[in-house]
Amino acid sequence: MPENTGHPYPDLEGKVVLVTGAAQGMGAEHARRLAASGATVAVNDREASAELSALAAELSGLAVPGDVSDPDQVRALVQRVELEVGPVDVLVANHAFMTMGPFLEADPADWWKVIDTNLGGTFHLVQAVLPGMRRRGAGRIVVISSEWGVTGWPGATAYSASKAGLISLVKTLGRELAPEGIIVNAVAPGVTDTPQLEVDARSAGISLDEMRAVYAAGIPLGRIGTSPEIAAAVALLCDFRLSAIIGQVVQVNGGSTRGRA
Amino acid sequence: MSQNAAARKVAIVTGTASGIGAAAAAELESRGWTVAGFDLRPSPQCSFDACVDMADPEEVRAAVARVEQELGPVKAAVSAAGYYEMLPVSEITLDHWRRMLSVHVGGFVNLSRAVMPGMTTAGGGSIVAITSELAIGGGSQDAHYAAAKGALLGLVRSLAAESAPSGIRVNAVAPGPTDTPLLAADSPWRAPEYLATLPLGRLTSPEEVAICIAFLLDEGTFCVGETLNPNAGAVI
Repeated sequence: MPENTGHPYPDLEGKVVLVTGAAQGMGAEHARRLAASGATVAVNDREASAELSALAAELSGLAVPGDVSDPDQVRALVQRVELEVGPVDVLVANHAFMTMGPFLEADPADWWKVIDTNLGGTFHLVQAVLPGMRRRGAGRIVVISSEWGVTGWPGATAYSASKAGLISLVKTLGRELAPEGIIVNAVAPGVTDTPQLEVDARSAGISLDEMRAVYAAGIPLGRIGTSPEIAAAVALLCDFRLSAIIGQVVQVNGGSTRGRA
Repeated sequence: MSQNAAARKVAIVTGTASGIGAAAAAELESRGWTVAGFDLRPSPQCSFDACVDMADPEEVRAAVARVEQELGPVKAAVSAAGYYEMLPVSEITLDHWRRMLSVHVGGFVNLSRAVMPGMTTAGGGSIVAITSELAIGGGSQDAHYAAAKGALLGLVRSLAAESAPSGIRVNAVAPGPTDTPLLAADSPWRAPEYLATLPLGRLTSPEEVAICIAFLLDEGTFCVGETLNPNAGAVI
């Protein structure tokens, strides 16, 4: 939020927002940030959980659990949002599934689950929210990609492919939907301080602080990012006064890539 | 200086007499910044304004020193001063070429060199360069403009890597054709046939560019060497 003005940014009063993958980490932060901007927020995660319900209660929103890789579940959860609070004005597609390992050792079912969740899930979500956005004549879609979708990463073929696929999806939908006032963009976070970091630390056999330091060493700014910093970029792309950013990737990574995505 | 004014952070914006610079100054003032505007012409809407030729390092250094003395430490600098000129490459004279580079690249270098010592002392700051969609895609008759704006992109990325460890974040905004006085009434960028090729169907507004600039200063605290592209879909 800009300092000194006291007004939440952007102004989302009266808007309905759907955030996926919102039970924890970055997704929860996006939901909090956009709720603070005045929006009614629906939060999704793969399964119903105490965390998801607590977040919905905290934000006076609603919890709409469902597996986004299943188009039927996606249609049903978007319909629930529409019935209870109205058509979705803003979609933040933040859900992600990830497993890592050498390419040739990957279990095909597992490999495809990453693609079907990350890339396919966003496809299903966009199809489901589009009729409502069209009725309103405007919309904002923010897709969370990843630095690894820009640079690739050893052992993360499915994840990187899904995140790079999202970038191309965003570029194409940006072109296709902008004439209707529906603006589609992506945010590509670098290493960010979320619960995923604890998983990384455990598998590397080091402490959480050591893990943070290892990642920070590769970042010009000398530290990893925070969820509110990623949420701030999401908030920018949800600003209905800003339509000229279309099909772009906003990279928030402390300077690790410094290139066009 | 009132107590309220003392609490406000100081930003220098160049090219504030019109267009993107003027819109950036207005957006930043509305978000609680005190803006010092530099331009060849006066910028009376800014809290502080100075007539400065950005291509002249001495003038820039002196103007920045005055701002630091009168308003306090400079937390942010936005280099928006510039001009647009289309010419077939064979008609670009050495003077055309040098002027284009000295205003766009030189202006950014002069501003950065003048504000960075103060930012380093204060433990950080933020610098934004206004480059162009033409730096990425190029365009017919845009050789010297695109060369200057492209040089800015490389400069921003290098300066970003170099100064991030001292807490100074350097980023860029690359607008598409923007509805400012820089675009003549008969500019091909205003032609309905061109606008029809844009996914958004219209020019970018100076206010949209200003929102991007304000984001990079206020909230883009993990953006380093990044370029935001409000270009109406001209380059995706």
